[in-house]
Amino acid sequence: MTTAETVVPPVVRQPDRTSRQSRIATASAPVVLTLGLVGLWWATALVLDSSVFPDPATAVQRLLVNLESARFLRSVTGTIVRLAISYSLVVIVGAAIGFALGLSRFWSDAVSPLLYAIYSIPKVVLFPLFLLFLGLGATSQIAFAFFSGVLPMILMMTNAAAAAPRLPLKLAASLRMSRAAVICKIVVPNALPAFTSALRLTFGLTFLGLLIVEMFSGVSGLGYELLRNIPLARMGDIIGEVILVVVMALVPVTALRALEGRIHRRYSAGGAK
Amino acid sequence: MSILTSTRPYRIPGYLRPRPATVLGLAPPAWAAVLGLAAMAAVELASRTGVVSKFDLVPPSRMAARAAGLLTDTGFLTGQLVPSIGLIAATFAIAGGLGVAAAYLLWRSEWCRKATLPLLGVYYAVPVFAVYPILVVLFGVGTAPILVVSVAFAVVVVITNSLTGFDSVPATVTKLARARRLTARQYLTKVLLPAAVPDVVAGLRLGLVYSTIGVLATEFILSTKGLGHFIADAYHTFRVDDMYAGILLICVVALILNVTVAAMLGRIDWRRR
Repeated sequence: MTTAETVVPPVVRQPDRTSRQSRIATASAPVVLTLGLVGLWWATALVLDSSVFPDPATAVQRLLVNLESARFLRSVTGTIVRLAISYSLVVIVGAAIGFALGLSRFWSDAVSPLLYAIYSIPKVVLFPLFLLFLGLGATSQIAFAFFSGVLPMILMMTNAAAAAPRLPLKLAASLRMSRAAVICKIVVPNALPAFTSALRLTFGLTFLGLLIVEMFSGVSGLGYELLRNIPLARMGDIIGEVILVVVMALVPVTALRALEGRIHRRYSAGGAK
Repeated sequence: MSILTSTRPYRIPGYLRPRPATVLGLAPPAWAAVLGLAAMAAVELASRTGVVSKFDLVPPSRMAARAAGLLTDTGFLTGQLVPSIGLIAATFAIAGGLGVAAAYLLWRSEWCRKATLPLLGVYYAVPVFAVYPILVVLFGVGTAPILVVSVAFAVVVVITNSLTGFDSVPATVTKLARARRLTARQYLTKVLLPAAVPDVVAGLRLGLVYSTIGVLATEFILSTKGLGHFIADAYHTFRVDDMYAGILLICVVALILNVTVAAMLGRIDWRRR
């Protein structure tokens, strides 16, 4: 027994998943770190004792006060609605286009370089164009948030659809399966794990795009609320809003991660099914 | 069997046939060029014929002429272009150095890895730019808040990719290294870093894209100089020609930066040699 243990170098870690203690350590570590950072923030705020550096309690309290104002609530619900619309469009349109493109090797080879070129442009600077053509309102913001998320969705789905494994395809050919059956039974299940990953990644990008244009065009929304407080130097309000933004981002993404884990376990190569 | 007995002639299904080399006599790169030029021509035509108002859409030829004019304008060069490129370079250098160093730390310390990995996994779901207003209140409008936000935006993608690289050392190589009694430093320079290079390079390339986005987006939202500010200002003061020229310049700058840095990084990537 002892000889077997000395062979394994300590650098190669084999996390023991069955051990309950290590599971608890894995789960608690990020919580400890987060609490530590919040504690550090609190301590710094106490030491500085400055109005431009409030402690966490003040920030949360300011957020709760703001949430009682009708105007602020309108801004928050406005952002949520715009995010929901643009993200749904990203998922439906992006996945459909990407999947269709991935089915044709030739056209995905021809179009992908263009998409990658557009993708590498910092998209924010194109926002004035959206404002020029769609006006200073919800339409241009939704359109831009959609534009921020749709390209990665298309690119990831193109790759996912093109990555159908060769062996099942050959089997399908010898069984003379129709094209529709091949897509339903082989290509789609194979692309599902990548699709769930894309769902999670594009959510972040869509939210980011929306928040940036709300900061820029400044009519309403959370981004506008954030920027509005700069000249007033109301740090408690700003930090409270940032906390709200973090919560708004983390709740759906945590759910999407759980979904991603389930789908990956079920459909990835070597999975149960 | 079924092929031999079937009356229909057997045809290999489309999903198994190799990709056609050309469609209508054109290879995929040629099609990419054709599609790109066609889009440009459509914009030029729409603007010249007056389908879209000249105040909204400037023909690409005039965009290019104005952009060339800006490049000879020393005020623009020293006031907008150089500061932005300098900030992008600084962000990239800091995020790259910090990112690789942080990844090494995470690779060394099991607890740090457990504590940060779940947080890093959801990092890009949170719109990092939301903290920009906080920094503007703390440091004022200027270089410091832009640098902090851009580094924060770019560093995480470098960390996660580099960590993948550090993890990619094959277990057998580590065993061999132990058998050869490599010192920690020898292991670092002879095994770990060379093994990690391809993933680190991939992370740095993404880091550059994120640095560019970070700098231009923050300049765009709120700043007093730089390319992002130039476009925002041109939009607010209805200088449509300048706005389009600025956008075109940013596309060109982003493209040149990507290509040159990718070429430089490709040189140290042994997988591509």
